[in-house]
Amino acid sequence: MNEEYKQWIGLRKIWMMLCAAFFILHSSFFISCSSINCPVQNTVSTHFVICDADGNETTLSDTLWVWTKRSDDTDTLLLNRLIGKSDFSLPISYSHPEDMLVFFKGDINGTFTLDTLWLKKDDIPHFESVDCPAHFFHQLTGTRYTRNGIDSITIIDPRVDYDPSKTHLHIYFAAH
Amino acid sequence: MTQARLICIFTSLLISASAWSQGFLKWEADTVPMFRGVAVSFDLAGATQLQLSDYGQLEGAVRVNLHDQYFPTLEIGLGKASHENDEVTGISYHTSAPYFRLGCDVNLLKKKHTGNRIFAGFRYAYTHYKIDLDRQNFPDPVWQWDTGFGVKDEPCYQHWAEVLLGIDAKVAGPLHMGWSVRYRKRLAHDDGKPEKTWYVPGYGIQESTRLGYTFNLTIDI
Repeated sequence: MNEEYKQWIGLRKIWMMLCAAFFILHSSFFISCSSINCPVQNTVSTHFVICDADGNETTLSDTLWVWTKRSDDTDTLLLNRLIGKSDFSLPISYSHPEDMLVFFKGDINGTFTLDTLWLKKDDIPHFESVDCPAHFFHQLTGTRYTRNGIDSITIIDPRVDYDPSKTHLHIYFAAH
Repeated sequence: MTQARLICIFTSLLISASAWSQGFLKWEADTVPMFRGVAVSFDLAGATQLQLSDYGQLEGAVRVNLHDQYFPTLEIGLGKASHENDEVTGISYHTSAPYFRLGCDVNLLKKKHTGNRIFAGFRYAYTHYKIDLDRQNFPDPVWQWDTGFGVKDEPCYQHWAEVLLGIDAKVAGPLHMGWSVRYRKRLAHDDGKPEKTWYVPGYGIQESTRLGYTFNLTIDI
């Protein structure tokens, strides 16, 4: 057996060991490992900013409650006693074409106003991974509302998604 | 094992290969003919993956041997994913579609005609696939309406590129065994209405870059 042949046999063993080692590594990788990469910020809600008549952000001096009606006709409170804030976020329904939100506002003199906002939207199923919970993004398409305490509501950014920095709506309350 | 650890392994192998491969691009001047035959191979890693997890691929390749130095390669496969009713999220995902990769490997060894090879290569790859995505009805957390979620036969596509490093060892006669580690980079994609997909046939779980690998049994024909 010449020297070159011995070297070739030795080298071939090394190659085959490398191949076998990789196959074992590969198999153990699939048995032992998985990773889940879901977004940390995964809340989808509409962000309202309260504005004055000039369109500037202003602080709410009255107290605001917001609620809605569930599928079984019971009420549920979405926002409780908001005061001294200039913005707030409200949940948005996953797949209902129009959400109804009731705004109840009271001032320091005990005067209360009641308004209803109907928020129309398109619902877009949003998928991240099979490991991440199902969510919906939304495209706001229109608003209608009563005008007892609300002066007007304007859609600023119609796309409602995971981005918490977006302002979706400007709300203008009527002056006392 | 994290992707970072795989990158470390890949880098170490690349450095080792570089050390072994002085003058690898130099055409070896000898009497060995230019055309050295054709080989076919089957990827055992993808098939094992398909057996052990919810996704994987059956993949074969045809490789032309040019002077034991350059290996133009066509890889064709069928990628499948079947994830049924996830126990946490309740989501089901199905796809099954063909894909191809086209590229070339270069033998990095100085002695190129021994039958064993360390190679580096590149690939361009493409798949056009359809996904079924379904989430069983679940109540809206506030309004409590039942909410459906899903798409059926949603068409998607993806182009991607790969650079790879691998070894190939002659086992006996025409039979070779080898593996490759691949860095994949997504070039262009359309994920349809859901805006994201999960498993992309031939690419793996959807991310902008990925590490992948193959373990090939090859026969010279």
